[in-house]
This record gives sequence, structure tokens and C-alpha cells, in this order.
Amino acid sequence: MGLFTIATLIALILQTTIPRLLPFEILVPELTLILVVDLGLRYHGIPAALAAFAIGYATDAFSGNQLGLNAVLFTAVFILTYGLSRAVFSPGRVLGVMAVFGGVLFCALGTYLAGAGWTGSENAALVTPAILIQAALTALCAPAIFAMMDGAAWMTGLRRSSSREYS
Amino acid sequence: MRSSFLRRNGVILTAGTLLILGLHLILSGTRPGARASRPAIALIELLRPVQAFEAGFSDETSGFVHDYLELVGTRRENDALRKELAELESERARTSELEAENQRLGDLLELRDALAMKAVAANVIGSDATGLSRTLIIGQGSHSGFRRDMAVIAAAGVVGKLIAVAPDAARVMLIDDHNSALDAIDQRSRARGIVGGVIDDGLTMKYVGRTEDLKPGDTIVTSGMDGIFPRGLLVGKVAQVSQEGPGLFLNVELSPAADFRKLEQLLVLTQKPPELQIDADDRN
Repeated sequence: MGLFTIATLIALILQTTIPRLLPFEILVPELTLILVVDLGLRYHGIPAALAAFAIGYATDAFSGNQLGLNAVLFTAVFILTYGLSRAVFSPGRVLGVMAVFGGVLFCALGTYLAGAGWTGSENAALVTPAILIQAALTALCAPAIFAMMDGAAWMTGLRRSSSREYS
Repeated sequence: MRSSFLRRNGVILTAGTLLILGLHLILSGTRPGARASRPAIALIELLRPVQAFEAGFSDETSGFVHDYLELVGTRRENDALRKELAELESERARTSELEAENQRLGDLLELRDALAMKAVAANVIGSDATGLSRTLIIGQGSHSGFRRDMAVIAAAGVVGKLIAVAPDAARVMLIDDHNSALDAIDQRSRARGIVGGVIDDGLTMKYVGRTEDLKPGDTIVTSGMDGIFPRGLLVGKVAQVSQEGPGLFLNVELSPAADFRKLEQLLVLTQKPPELQIDADDRN
């Protein structure tokens, strides 16, 4: 999990500094969520669940949301992708991209409900396009992040546990 | 068996427990300084040096990008502003010109009202084609009621008379033409003479007796005796008076009141001046 620790720190640095590099406003992809989806699809163990929670908590440290919100949401995304990977015989990259897209929407919905309340607000229509764009942007970055993590795992000898071990 | 169950569902159970923990964090509304927020604060502190370094770097980079992008925009804006400036300068020049013309026409109008004579304003549209004669072309002619020998004046003073008239143009012979002959008097001493030009440029007053009292700076005005110009119109000032040779007359050089090189609007007196009753002073 040391690899994911480093990857999380790098992702957080990038997410908090990329907007400053550019002269125009841009939606930043949720790199940390991509790491959580990767954990859920490929690393099936208790450390992976703990790592997903920790990544969510770390994201809370740098976001304006309520502390613990992203921890809950990321853990929920981890559970969902874990269950998905168990249901599918061989989860490929396409499934990973779709899971990332869905994960961003799920987290955005959760954050919106936590901020606006369960009754929602009239601003939902205004934020929906931005959420969809961010989800698409994050999904576009997912294959590259997955490939980098694969390469790094291979270099460090990190073993990916398969769900089949527990069946 | 229980261990098998825990092994099979360890991940879900752990994740579920973490979910509950997270919900507890949310619902308890973690206060700043609480134990639960200490790891978050530690993480912020951990990444602070990296973010500070990156911020310094990104300021320069984004500044560079900003500057580059702004340069492109600035150049376009600069070109547009230069063009606008040129247009405004041109507009300003036109406005100044209109103001000046307005002023000149106003002066002519005042002059006409002062003279209490019929007069028509005309624009100078050309000058003499040769260097020997001193004439001007104006843009109105017989259709405006002009006739030969009508007096032409400017706000500054006497200009000349019409010597050729076409339907929509006319020629003005200036008083400094060598063929011109204008009857004039010294306003101070009442000395009388004929104002005319010299072939090589200049204005003189001829046939002024040697005993006449003329001094540099004296004002010369029309006498009204020639039947063309009304009496009292400003001709010029005496520039120099000399006596050369054994002749009967003084050599009087004048500086004209009107600058013939800068004339643009003129007034043509379409009414003959009233006949004068010659004063006893003038006769003497």
C-alpha cells in the first residue's frame, strides 16, 4: 500500500495545483477516485478497503467538504467496484473507465445531497453539466492512471490479489 | 467455518465498518482541533512544502503563459487602439478645421453686418497659375450675382477686386498685384496715395508727396474714391518710408493686413459703395 500512498499524495498535489498553472478555469479530474476504483477492481483485501477509506479522508483534508464525507463516498465506491469485479469474470479497462465515470457521478451526487440537503435545490440543473463534464474528464484519464499503477506495481512487485482466491 | 466466513467477507465487513466510522465523523461534525481532524492537519502540513514550491513555479509558468496569451491579445488591442487613435486624430483635425472655418465665417458675417452692404461669401479654390500675377480663384461667379470690379475683402482687410467672372467661378486680382491700383489714405495724416504691388513681390503706396507725413506703423485704409471699395477698409500698415533720388514722391512700403497666402473664405461686396461727399480735409 506504500505505492498507493505515494500515488495518493501525488494525485492530491496535482489536483490542488493544476488549476493554478493554467490561465483559464478548468475542471480538474478526480485522480484520487481513479485510485479507489483501481483498488476495488484489482486489489481485493482488507488493506485495500482501508486504503480506500484513507484516500477519501486525505481528499477531505484538501477539500471544503465535511470531514469524513469523501471517506464515506470513496469507501462506498470501493464496495461497489469490489462487488462489480466479483460479478464480472475478467474486469477489463473498459469496465474500469465506466466504473470511474459512475463513481464520479455517485460522489458528486452524494456531495450535492450533503450540501443541499435531501430536499435538493433549484441549482441541481445548473451543476449537472459541470458534473457530467468532470465525470467524462476523469474517465478519460482513468486508462492512463491504471496503466501507470500497473507499471508501478510490476516494478515494485506489488501483488494483486484476485477475488477468485476467496471463492 | 466462522473463519471461512470472515475470510470470504472480510473486505465487505471492513469496508462496512469504515462506512459507519465515516458516517460517525460526518454526523458528529468534527470540530477543528479534535483528534479526528489531526491526521488531516498533519497531511496538509506534509504536503505544504511541495505545494509551496509548485505554487512558486506555477506562478512563473502561469505568468509566462498569461504574458504570452496577453501579448497576443495586447498586440491586437494595440493595433485596434492605434487605428482608433488615428481616426480620432483625423476627426480632431477635421473638428479643428471646422471650428476655424466657423470662426472665419463668423468674422466675415460680422464684417458684412458692420459694413451694412450686400455681400456674398466665397471660398478660395485656386491661386494663380503663373508666378508673375497675383490672383486667386473663388468658387462662385455670376450665378451668385458677381460682376467685374466688385470689391473682395477678408475679415483681416482688403484683398482685391474681381477681374474675371464665370457662371460659377471668378478671378480676384489681389492688391499686391503689379497691375492693381487701390486708392488709399493714411488714417493718421490723411496722406493719400495709390496702393499697388511690385513685380517681385511686395506692396507699395505710390504717388505720396515728399512733404506728406507718413511714418512706419501708420494705418492705411481705403479712401472710397475709386468707387469700388467703401471708405475706411483696412489695407495695411506702413512698413518703411524712404526718399530716394530727386523724385517728387516718397517710397512707401506697406505690409498688407490680409495674409494672401492663407486666405480661404472671402467676402465679395455685391453692392456698389455709396458715393462719397468729399470732405474739406480730404480735398486738402
